[in-house]
Amino acid sequence: MAVSLSKGGNVSLTKEAPGLTAITVGLGWDARVTDGAAFDLDASVFICGEDGKVRSDTDFVFYNNKTGAGGAVQHTGDNTTGEGDGDDEQVKVDLSKVPTEVKKLVFAVTIHEAESRNQNFGQVSNAFMRVVNSVGGSVLAKYDLSEDYSTETAMIFGEIYRHNDEWKMKAIGSGFAGGLGSLAASHGVNMG
Amino acid sequence: MTVLSPGANAPLPSGDLTVLIRHGMIPGAEIDVSTFLVTGTGKVRSDADMCFYGQPSVAGGAVALAGASGGETRFTVAPSRIPAGVERVIFTATIHENRGTFGQLSEMEVQVGVLTGKIPCSGRTETALILAEVYRRNGSWKIRVVGQGFNGGLAALATHLGVEIAEPAPTPAPSPSPAPAPAAPPSTVNLSKVSLTKQNSTVNLQKDDGRFGKIRVNLNWNQKAQKTGLFSFGSSNIDLDLGAFVEMRNGNRSVVQALGNAFGGFGTPPFVKLLGDDRTGAVTDGEWLEINGDKWADIDRILIYAFIYEGVPNWQQTDGVVKIIVPGQPEVEVRMNEFGDKRGMCAVASLENSNGQVRVSREVTFHKGHKEMDSSYGWGFRWTAGSK
Repeated sequence: MAVSLSKGGNVSLTKEAPGLTAITVGLGWDARVTDGAAFDLDASVFICGEDGKVRSDTDFVFYNNKTGAGGAVQHTGDNTTGEGDGDDEQVKVDLSKVPTEVKKLVFAVTIHEAESRNQNFGQVSNAFMRVVNSVGGSVLAKYDLSEDYSTETAMIFGEIYRHNDEWKMKAIGSGFAGGLGSLAASHGVNMG
Repeated sequence: MTVLSPGANAPLPSGDLTVLIRHGMIPGAEIDVSTFLVTGTGKVRSDADMCFYGQPSVAGGAVALAGASGGETRFTVAPSRIPAGVERVIFTATIHENRGTFGQLSEMEVQVGVLTGKIPCSGRTETALILAEVYRRNGSWKIRVVGQGFNGGLAALATHLGVEIAEPAPTPAPSPSPAPAPAAPPSTVNLSKVSLTKQNSTVNLQKDDGRFGKIRVNLNWNQKAQKTGLFSFGSSNIDLDLGAFVEMRNGNRSVVQALGNAFGGFGTPPFVKLLGDDRTGAVTDGEWLEINGDKWADIDRILIYAFIYEGVPNWQQTDGVVKIIVPGQPEVEVRMNEFGDKRGMCAVASLENSNGQVRVSREVTFHKGHKEMDSSYGWGFRWTAGSK
């Protein structure tokens, strides 16, 4: 039975699934059904150390850099339409291979060309983040954001973080002004 | 005032709501505003959940179209009375027959109390827009401004929301051999409107059980007629009155009009009632007559007329229109657009009981007064001068 998180809430994934070694983080939203420019949403991961910053630019995993942390974090690719049931983008995390100095993985979703297309999260329906046990496929936790956003164009959905010897998930649901670029910069990524 | 842009949401005050849509006007096109009551799956439970000009009150009056004129449409929403299972009330604007796009407007507004949703329109190609939705959230109600839509007009939008749409009715054959408008299939909503013109002057509305429900007749006009020419002075406001001659199957005849306080009756003969006469101009949706269509079998014929009670008799300036709205039937409209007539009385339309059908004919003939119109149509009332 998946734990349903609301904004600010957290859950111990390790307690939900003792012996947890690998997870798939799914990020989803409904495709645009109305006419007009499609919503192209992109998921990104920031692999952060103790200071909340990336250790190097390769710790910024997104559509142009699909693996990080020596392969422990793998972005499975960009879904440009949001079509299909379930997750629209997935990030596979091999928890057992995440280096010990990594304290948290920050999952963000940004709307591609939001400004020129005049789009924001308030126009996107049913956005969620969920964590699935890669072994067995059970859903451990899910966070439904749909009421936690409005006119934002970039959102931090949630974090997967170490707490003592456990892995936990926290529902964040915070908007971020300025899109993917400033979101990356704030996590210590050097933007070219 | 709090301004919401598309995508933004806000909690609504408790209690009944008035939702005012300021959509403006598009030259040569008609904008219709409708609401849809949808479940968690985003679809209506049935076609009875679509509130529009053909069905102005739904869910037992929980959502009602309260008036439309001059580029504004007003709905009332009583959230406490919205049936369980309805999760969202969706407000939409559509362009009738796709005769324009919303890109021709600069913006539209949705206002509820202190909240104003602003939807930029320039550059849009849609002919149907979801403006906003009022929705349940943790036991209370919120509003979200949406501003998304379809290029395919009301039909595309209604299909998206799970409403089955009747095929547009073929244009009625020209007089003098009028063809009956095909009755809509029972499970679909008929979106067509029938405009009676000189060329297409008659339509037959048919129902198998002969019960037509509440037939509503609306007279609306441009209340602030333009002053024209050097010799126009003083008040240019025009007050039009709506009235009807009614003849029953048993031969009884009555006049229903505000003049002489002959407001008629809905549950009692003549089964035609004039709703309150508004002389202040505050009511923007004009004057209304209601005909008890469930008593249609007792009615032989009705002549609907308008007369200029106050103001210059100039029908061209009034831009008057009479709409006849029969539940489940295409809306019938008659425009009093014959130019330059100076007589103050206009016989607008007649409704005749033709083998249980409602046969609506455009008249639009002008007369000096009641008596002259009476004799033209052979009713035979006795007339004395009266005043409101």
